[in-house]
Amino acid sequence: MIKSADIVVIGGGVVGCSTAYNLAKLGAGKVVVLEKNYLASGSTGRCGAGMRMQWGTETNCLLSRESVKMLSHLPELLNVNVDIEFTQNGYLMPAYSEKMADQFKQNLLLQNSLAIPARWVTPEESLEIVPFLNTQGMFGATYCAEDGHCNPFKVTEAYAQAAKNLNVEIYTDTEVKGIVTKNGKITAVRTNLGDIQTDTVVNAAGGYAKTVGRMVGIELPIFPERHEILVTEPVEPTMGPMVMSFYHNLYCQQSPHGSFIMGIGHPNEPESYNIKSSWQFLRDMAERIVEILPPLARLNIIRQWAGLYDMCPDRTPILGNSPALTRFFTAAGFSGHGFMISPITGQLMAEMVVGKPTAFPIQMFDAGRFERGELFVEPSVV
Amino acid sequence: MPSQERLAKGPVAVFECMQQIPCNPCADACPRGAITVQEINDCPSLDEELCNGCGVCMTHCPGLSIFVVDYTYGKDVALVKIPYEFSPLPKVQEIVDALNRQGQCVGTAEVIRVQTSPNKTNIIWLSIPQELAMEVRSFRLRKGNIVNPNDVIICRCEDITLGEIREQIAQGKHTLEEIKRACRSGMGPCQGRTCAPLIVNEIAKATGKPVSEIPLPKFRPSTSPVKMASLLGGDKT
Repeated sequence: MIKSADIVVIGGGVVGCSTAYNLAKLGAGKVVVLEKNYLASGSTGRCGAGMRMQWGTETNCLLSRESVKMLSHLPELLNVNVDIEFTQNGYLMPAYSEKMADQFKQNLLLQNSLAIPARWVTPEESLEIVPFLNTQGMFGATYCAEDGHCNPFKVTEAYAQAAKNLNVEIYTDTEVKGIVTKNGKITAVRTNLGDIQTDTVVNAAGGYAKTVGRMVGIELPIFPERHEILVTEPVEPTMGPMVMSFYHNLYCQQSPHGSFIMGIGHPNEPESYNIKSSWQFLRDMAERIVEILPPLARLNIIRQWAGLYDMCPDRTPILGNSPALTRFFTAAGFSGHGFMISPITGQLMAEMVVGKPTAFPIQMFDAGRFERGELFVEPSVV
Repeated sequence: MPSQERLAKGPVAVFECMQQIPCNPCADACPRGAITVQEINDCPSLDEELCNGCGVCMTHCPGLSIFVVDYTYGKDVALVKIPYEFSPLPKVQEIVDALNRQGQCVGTAEVIRVQTSPNKTNIIWLSIPQELAMEVRSFRLRKGNIVNPNDVIICRCEDITLGEIREQIAQGKHTLEEIKRACRSGMGPCQGRTCAPLIVNEIAKATGKPVSEIPLPKFRPSTSPVKMASLLGGDKT
């Protein structure tokens, strides 16, 4: 194992791999990625694989818009031969109350001002997009045809390959045990395979970002929360867009492979590293999805699993340096939408770490914003 | 064994059944009543005048021990019909290696016809030199004719070939979890019941590790597919 590195990235998910690739591309020196299991084994590989630009804060709109742009030609951008299964079949987000409809229309103003081609559709127009949608109780929906789907394993793989091509070293099955500091500076990262001397760490540990923060005495306001998900047997393409309902707290999309992937958020899910599957989820999911997409009752569920959202109190990620310790950077707290903004996140983090001006201003997303009370509350999260 | 005179007259069944076991499907199968099994443990006996070499008995013999030989097929060549349960099947006009009872190659044969049977005992008609007609009892596909093993489907739910699996292993993915995520093997309705042991063998071969050291993947519910509708209704508590 390597003995020293200029930068150590903790976490071999899509954010870690994207950050490592961008660091190498900016000539940041020797970059090492440490992953406890295998690449995309955590939140990345367990996510719903959707990507959308319909957000309620300017930042999330911008981050996702830029990421979709990059994902649309990622293999060329990274010069790797990996099919990331990029498809743009849209997101349809129905509103079930006047208040929700007003909020959505407000979001639309923001999205349209940032050149995101989302629009309001009536229940009748929704039926043209998803013919078997139950529009009962619907006030309408927002629809963005350029939202869609990507394969999280393949996107991670693409970044990892591109990073390796730029001499990034990726260690899987390698667990970070501690971070050594001296006089307010990082000196080494301790792993189960030995120490790596370094003065710079990027914490991209997803649900475990808080644990990594505690290794240097920093209490990040990120907490892990279980979210469950299931997949059905593959069938002929029948539903184009992701259907995402905040009222039902669910999302459901037919993947290019033909299977339907769906999940629900549970309002009372406690903070925990628990990623066990529950039978209650199957029942709740089936009841809710059959209500709005009735023909899905005929499908066979073939697998269920769970993963962690790395939740932030305002559901906006922490991207930044920590005031208490120089050169300890965090890219976590994505609150369930880290995969879809990972391309631009990696770029911004790399720019920040090497001290270049960032493509967007992101200094206000540091962990200090919670003490300052400068939150960016994202309303649109399942 | 049929007499020389009978063999000279045309196609006839040749029984190479030596085991005295309780078995008689051949007798029931023969449409002409040419086969008798006296006691159930006896070997069958053939009325060679009644037999016309139709070969129906061949597909019913679980021991693959009946053949049909026709010395009148050609001037120097004879036709031998061989029961065959391997795949892939040869193609008509294909040249194959002719094997004797010990499995040794004794010459070449041309495939004349491939009769497939729903019970998987297929009958292959081989044209071989007459002097080998009572010697050749099997055949082997030639190397170039054999299907490339990399084209064999390993994961039947997701149509993943051995070649694709080997490619993933070559890229450094040495666990079932990683290979599954890279190419969907084991993500189908059977959840890897068929492909997992096969892939483990490939990983073991490639890495030199014993199979016992290749970690099993996490098994995710459900054990078998569950219809969404069957989860609806019922008691909530």
